[in-house]
Amino acid sequence: MSMVTNRRILTALIVALLLMPLLNSGCSNTKTPLPVIVAGSFMGPMEDLEARFEELHPDIDVQIEGHGSIQVIRQVTELEKEADVLIVADHSLIPMMMYNTTIAGSDEPYADWYLSFATNSLGLAYTNTSAYAGEINESNWYEILTKPDVAVGIADARIDSCGYRAFMTCQLAESCYDNASIFERLFGDSFTWPITVSVEDGIQTIHVPEILEPKGDKLALRGNSVWLLFLLDSGEIDYAFEYRSVAEQLGYSFLELPPEIDLSSENYSESYGSVRVKMDFQRFGSVQPEFTGEPIIYGVTIPNNAPHPNIAAEFVNFLISAQGQAILAEDDQPPISPARADNPDALPDELKELLQ
Amino acid sequence: MRSRLYDHRRFPLFVLTVATLIIYAFAVGCGGSSDSTYKDINWQLTLVGDEEVVLNFSEILDMTSYSGTSGFFTSVGIVNGPFDIKGVPLLDLCDLVGGVNQSEYVRISAIDNYSMVFSYDQMNGDFITYNTSLHEVENEGIVLVLMYEMDGVPLTQDLGSPLRIALVGDNVLTEGHNWVKWINKLEILSFD
Repeated sequence: MSMVTNRRILTALIVALLLMPLLNSGCSNTKTPLPVIVAGSFMGPMEDLEARFEELHPDIDVQIEGHGSIQVIRQVTELEKEADVLIVADHSLIPMMMYNTTIAGSDEPYADWYLSFATNSLGLAYTNTSAYAGEINESNWYEILTKPDVAVGIADARIDSCGYRAFMTCQLAESCYDNASIFERLFGDSFTWPITVSVEDGIQTIHVPEILEPKGDKLALRGNSVWLLFLLDSGEIDYAFEYRSVAEQLGYSFLELPPEIDLSSENYSESYGSVRVKMDFQRFGSVQPEFTGEPIIYGVTIPNNAPHPNIAAEFVNFLISAQGQAILAEDDQPPISPARADNPDALPDELKELLQ
Repeated sequence: MRSRLYDHRRFPLFVLTVATLIIYAFAVGCGGSSDSTYKDINWQLTLVGDEEVVLNFSEILDMTSYSGTSGFFTSVGIVNGPFDIKGVPLLDLCDLVGGVNQSEYVRISAIDNYSMVFSYDQMNGDFITYNTSLHEVENEGIVLVLMYEMDGVPLTQDLGSPLRIALVGDNVLTEGHNWVKWINKLEILSFD
């Protein structure tokens, strides 16, 4: 073999080695990535939205990352992750956490608008082997849950919004059913350090201690409502407080509760607001752990430092379009039609046109 | 006959090849761990109990370590690990400031203002554990560990460097919100 040939081989080897890290880091992918961070309870519809959007835009790779809603926003505002679209299960978190927080090195806030685009409701997931499955209905559910041979699951209110919303629903049930003992009977003796309720100026405040630890086997507590569904499968619990969309997407029976207490309807905003959950445990330094009852409304925004704002606007456009709303409806995630902007003047032009 | 290896016409290419391999190895993260990596870490951990004690990173490394294999899953069910974990048991750290008893609990805080609390029972291993299919499984007790090493190397920034909570058991998974990153404070608090 000649020296020239040897040099060519070595040169080729060196070039190949130099290119390897680039290949490893994914530079061979010619699609434009669109990072979308979403609330865990929206993962089901999001996967369907991703599939359809990528069919329509084969040059775009929607990259989904799921978290609890507060963590969705923190990824951008505190952990400095780049994202094109944020979707949360509580629209009020967007102005609370993004409007007054400026992008590092600038005076610009992380966001200055959001769209309300979908709702949900809270109820009870169960299976056909759950105790009293043939008897439970929207009038007697709280009596069934307090029976000694019935075990109930609830998400940890300190970790998952489904947990504190379940407390709100049970407190609202007292006025709905004219029965002042419902909350106490359901939760009064269920925790090592008790949950208490106080009333001041017509506002009922549920106080959650810093340590939330269930006593006995009557009540199961998990960090995320979805993990309770495994306990339904194994028969360890009979009922779990859950979002309707999650229960139905995963194939569980779902008991709908009256709109007065299921946090689904804007017609009851005022009465929902008569209940508040206040936690001694502050998980995030940037979020006061006090939540007032309100309808469950999903919000979407594009951060002002999004790497691909134009494509992000296309995605949001698709999300709130008739096609996107049909996908939501199929996934038992009722759309708000048309979507509503809190600050229409700040919307990207592409979205302004659609909402007009 | 002159050795091919020392052929001066080929030597620059040989050096370049070796240099490229080294650059590649570091680029893909094959640098490995070393004591010098740990020595570069400037970090303080504040312990608050009956008294307040501040430990630097090397003082934590000097404590008796605990190792095991465990992982976690995120709120949307993405499994991370199991990893080989090395660190210091939280109970040992508590003992440096008077220990923790049944009327107390422990709050862990991080530099990003995230915090998590653990009851006395949890400090002594009472956690729900899962297998890799995310079904609940029995375990003989979790050890809460202040982790500084994962799979034989120091933690990276993304993974919570230099100190992160790990729930160490027998190859089990636990909920990820407990695995607090970037820890700088441990407080023993009382309900009284």
